[in-house]
Amino acid sequence: MRGFRILLAAGLLAASAVAAEAQTMSYGQAGALLAKSCGPDINKLCPTVNLGNGALKACMDSKISQVSQKCQADYAMAIASIAKRDAAQDAIAHICNADAARLCPGMIPQDGNLLSCLLQATKVVSASCNQAITDAGYR
Amino acid sequence: MTSPLIRFALAASLALSAAPALAQTSLSDSQILQGLQGLTDSAPTMTAQQMRNMVQQHMSQYPGEALTRPSLALNLDKLPQINVQIQFRLNSSIIEPSSYGTLGSIADAMHNPVLHGYKFVVTGNTDVTGPRDFNLKLSQARADAVVNALVTVFNVNASRLEAVGLGEEVLLDPKKPTDPINRRVQIFTIGRMGPPPQPIR
Repeated sequence: MRGFRILLAAGLLAASAVAAEAQTMSYGQAGALLAKSCGPDINKLCPTVNLGNGALKACMDSKISQVSQKCQADYAMAIASIAKRDAAQDAIAHICNADAARLCPGMIPQDGNLLSCLLQATKVVSASCNQAITDAGYR
Repeated sequence: MTSPLIRFALAASLALSAAPALAQTSLSDSQILQGLQGLTDSAPTMTAQQMRNMVQQHMSQYPGEALTRPSLALNLDKLPQINVQIQFRLNSSIIEPSSYGTLGSIADAMHNPVLHGYKFVVTGNTDVTGPRDFNLKLSQARADAVVNALVTVFNVNASRLEAVGLGEEVLLDPKKPTDPINRRVQIFTIGRMGPPPQPIR
């Protein structure tokens, strides 16, 4: 797996010139943002409600007048960011299909080897595919 | 005699000891990804149901005092795995907001193409404080809460995850059964998803 990370690092260097914009937040960053901006409100207003299954969101919405402006804004941003990251990751297969066929023919795509192939070929990968990889957070 | 699991845990804690105190409860993104990858064909096959059966069997085989009975050895050292400290409210399956970031980081790893074709078992573990049956239920509820958050908030495909409560049966440090270090969520990579992918044409 060291090889993969070296590939990733190499891809990162090559790609930094390609696309720095439109990056999405990672899921970890979104979770941390939610905790930082809403943790105190959650502990105060919805301490017996869990994050999953929409329960926390429903509880916070029901007490929205007591929720801080910062939390309201960042909760929405975290949810939007997660959706955007998810869509970007889903979109790669479609957007990079032609690049994969051109640059990685015959490869059985598993364990991240297709991404490694595309990252290695960054300089000749289409702009839209490179952008999709960036948006997905895979650099 | 140190079991491979303990040595793994020791190695993990040593690796973390260089980082600030906060890091003791949180693995880095690369540690999560690295810990969960590399499932080999020689690894034992294990299902969530098999784990539950082992717990039930262990509980009926060793009904005695917590401090006198052996810790259940799942013998899963060959499976890729991570131990994570998810903070729950006392005697509850409610995940503390302070652990939302960790959940997201686990999701980041599961969404990475390196792990995309794999499925996982999320186990919950308590220490031996409190009634044994309560701990079994609590650990299942906690593992369920983690899986629910990964699926419904962080968009991990539900078919890739199963939750198993191991109660107080599988101790991280069997010599200190009441130590809070035994309270943990452990995630195992247990197999591939679906049929092998087709070559790219």
